[in-house]
Amino acid sequence: MKLLRRMAKVPLGLTAPAFALLLVVFGAPITLLFLSSVNAPDFSFQYYGAFFAQPANVRVLFQTIEISLVATAICLIVGYPTAYLIVTASKTLRMTLIALVIIPYLTSGLARTYAWIVILGDRGVINNILLDVGLIDRPLQLIYNRTAVYIGMVHIMLPMMILPLVSAMMGIDRSLMAAARSMGAGPFTAFRRVFLPLSIPGARSGSLLVFVFCLGFYITPAALGGLRDAMLSTFIAAEVNSSFDIPRIAAASFILLGFAIVVLSMVGLDLSGKQEQSQTRAPKGSMSRLPIVLVIKRNFSEILRPYRVKRWTGRRYVPGAERRWPKVVAIVFIVLVMAFLLFPGIIVVIMSFSSGAFLQFPPSGLSLQWYRSFFGDASWSGAAWTSVEIGVEVAVISTLLGTLAAFGLSRISARLRGVLTMIIITPITFPVIVVGIATYLGLIQIGLIGTKGGIALAHSIGAVGIVVVIVSATLANFDRTLEQAAKSMRAGPLQTFFRVTLPLIRPGVIGGAMFAFLQSFDEAVITSLVGGLSVRTLPLKMLENIRHQIDPTIAAVASLLMLLPLIWMLVLYAVWWRSRPSMQRTLQEAAA
Amino acid sequence: MNMHAMNTAPRSEVDAADVNQSVPQIQFSSVTKMYGSVPAVRDLSLTVRRGEFLTILGPSGSGKTTTLMLLAGFEAPSSGDIMIAGHSVASVPSYRRDQGIVFQSYALFPHLTVARNLEFPLEMRGMAPDQRKVRVARMLERVHLGEFGGRMPSQLSGGQQQRVALARALIADPPFLLLDEPLGALDRNLREQMQIEMKSLHKEFGITTVCVTHDQEEALTLSDRIVVMRAGRVEQIDTPEALYDRPSSCFVAKFLGEANILEDALLLARGGNAPQIGTVAMIRPERISVLPKTAEWAQTDQRQYVAGAVDDMIFAGPLRKYHVRVGNNVLIVREHVAADQPVFQPGEEVCLTWLRSDIRFVSP
Repeated sequence: MKLLRRMAKVPLGLTAPAFALLLVVFGAPITLLFLSSVNAPDFSFQYYGAFFAQPANVRVLFQTIEISLVATAICLIVGYPTAYLIVTASKTLRMTLIALVIIPYLTSGLARTYAWIVILGDRGVINNILLDVGLIDRPLQLIYNRTAVYIGMVHIMLPMMILPLVSAMMGIDRSLMAAARSMGAGPFTAFRRVFLPLSIPGARSGSLLVFVFCLGFYITPAALGGLRDAMLSTFIAAEVNSSFDIPRIAAASFILLGFAIVVLSMVGLDLSGKQEQSQTRAPKGSMSRLPIVLVIKRNFSEILRPYRVKRWTGRRYVPGAERRWPKVVAIVFIVLVMAFLLFPGIIVVIMSFSSGAFLQFPPSGLSLQWYRSFFGDASWSGAAWTSVEIGVEVAVISTLLGTLAAFGLSRISARLRGVLTMIIITPITFPVIVVGIATYLGLIQIGLIGTKGGIALAHSIGAVGIVVVIVSATLANFDRTLEQAAKSMRAGPLQTFFRVTLPLIRPGVIGGAMFAFLQSFDEAVITSLVGGLSVRTLPLKMLENIRHQIDPTIAAVASLLMLLPLIWMLVLYAVWWRSRPSMQRTLQEAAA
Repeated sequence: MNMHAMNTAPRSEVDAADVNQSVPQIQFSSVTKMYGSVPAVRDLSLTVRRGEFLTILGPSGSGKTTTLMLLAGFEAPSSGDIMIAGHSVASVPSYRRDQGIVFQSYALFPHLTVARNLEFPLEMRGMAPDQRKVRVARMLERVHLGEFGGRMPSQLSGGQQQRVALARALIADPPFLLLDEPLGALDRNLREQMQIEMKSLHKEFGITTVCVTHDQEEALTLSDRIVVMRAGRVEQIDTPEALYDRPSSCFVAKFLGEANILEDALLLARGGNAPQIGTVAMIRPERISVLPKTAEWAQTDQRQYVAGAVDDMIFAGPLRKYHVRVGNNVLIVREHVAADQPVFQPGEEVCLTWLRSDIRFVSP
């Protein structure tokens, strides 16, 4: 208590536990990893040279960038109109649609990847239906190719694109569009000149998040892609499994990391979630800095000028016919996107009740056999318990450390806060395979490889970042004068925190704890590296099954995992929505 | 319709019908707007004359904002028609009308500089860049924001933003201007300053202006005529003075200033004007004088006296406000503070007097 009190006096001290964990488990080892990649203490770039000397490596690197770019582009192209339609929908419909986007976002990535295998596989849903109808007589090769990789990646990444976009678009004052129209801008011009520029920050942070996550994507491309669709993460993982030649792995990791960092710093990641700031800032976007872009923009405007004059004089007071088809197109589009996001889950849930000896769609009969098999088989239920155990540990550790850190960060200068927040969230912005290798090296040092505690610590470094982001967002909406009021009534700093601050930021803390649990509960990459062979978590067991497709029980597991987000949503609704409307925004910012 | 090419956005391109002074600028004919099954505006008929400053005044939910939305083209009427300069505009979208709007939140584009904000309506009308620049510069000078063209809206104070919004609405020379609670977001001092400014701008541009507000003081100060709305209907239309002096209903009387309702028949006991059936007697607080109890008085045909006791006295700078209990009623009396005037303290017995001709009979 005394120590706590002393730390509370220096806000920076509150961040110390979080940074200590980060340093031991991640910071120190990744520094060592970097040093070994440059062949310290001699310092040479021989390992990097060796990496680029092999054409296969370079091909994988370019392929990684290409796949990431394409997946990001698809997400943006699909996500932007989706977000726009969500924002312009009526309030109830909007909340429903946001919930429908958040449900897959919270659903286990493994379960969703599995769903696509089930749908696209040789004996999968699509092929079965086509065969039954008689359109084809041999199964189509839908899986293990690039298209399948894109489908799976976009499916997983789309919510991550839509949510920041929705958040940014909700911040756009509707009267601005009305103002533009009242000044003679038609619907398209008003959109292009007002709405689009104001939504750019959301599009930027969404694309950035998606791109960086895609760079480090491992399980989905490995599960859905063919041998020729390997990404750098897959390559590193293979390297780890085969040789564990640290300098080589380190070099490959830092090349991957380097790309992520270059992109992050080029576009400028603003994870603090301050949408208003970026909107009101003078236009200094990287685009408009280029004179040529300005020239093109100007000229484009001028090309339209005669048309504008004509339209203005000619169409003044001409009644506008109400067009039906944009509405129809919009409805069809949003239904398709929602179907894309939700149907894989629904199909897996239905198949999990199948009574046959293997999974089919539509199921020939209904039974609970796969659920019985899940609960009856010790290897499944044991794995599930291990995961729950680790998840709870992670939630406790990261909520404690993360809340303290977020509280400390909220009390220091904005500049320092920005830098420290960036550092604390590195484990969630770095490619996951790199984080996994670093934590492996870190845990070896303290002898925790192959223990549940070690896995919990490894998961916690990322989870702390998540908690910090969510609690910080909540604290940003917190009225500081309430604390001053408490202090004026003779409450000490600790009493103020426990009696005033904590109860008010509790929704954020609970949300953070839930996200932390969820992240741990679905983690397979880091776990596979630091878990050794002795600890079997549910995601590891699932991964093994996805790879070898032996046991249909996985359908039941995936279905149960899909029920989880529904439960989360209910809890979130109970804790957040009801408590304060401003929490809605916090959630979206946090999700971003 | 007139369609000659325009290089400059002209002083509101004058249509044939427009020239005819007898055609009112804006006309609502039995306009009804339903939201689902809820009528926001019912059977509204209204005429706005050329060059006048018309204020639509009403409490929230009275349909005044819907009226503005209909006029701006953001909503279409469920039935009835709206004519602007002789054109039926019921189904003309906002961007094909020629109008300037000052929004309640100002709706300045946060991503564009002040100058680019002002350029926007000119650009939409297809004006050439150099002409736009000249016009923007002139307009900025006019609203005393000459050096602020390069600033972002967020770098301006509330009053400056307000002036930018007004300048942006006026710059393309629209035939009429719509103001949505234009001074709502300003503090008191600034508000008075802006009222004067707006009045002088209205005089200078001579532009037909429709203003929507719930602020009676704003309405009284700025308007040529005021439309008082209540529950989607027009309650009364008249000049500010006439509205204040001869309200048609209790609602109008109370919405525009304070009003004493003389419900007690005793108050009207002796002679004078008898109450009309279905009306109540109303008198403005400033039409009542307070006299000491001891003063000599007798009812006459012109003047009426009643005895009462002071409940409360409020000093408000130039005014002194008394709450005087007369029987079961409490009457409000407002007196200008003057050196030779006696001051009455709460509890004191007093005598109230007024001219019978100052009593108005209004529908309840």
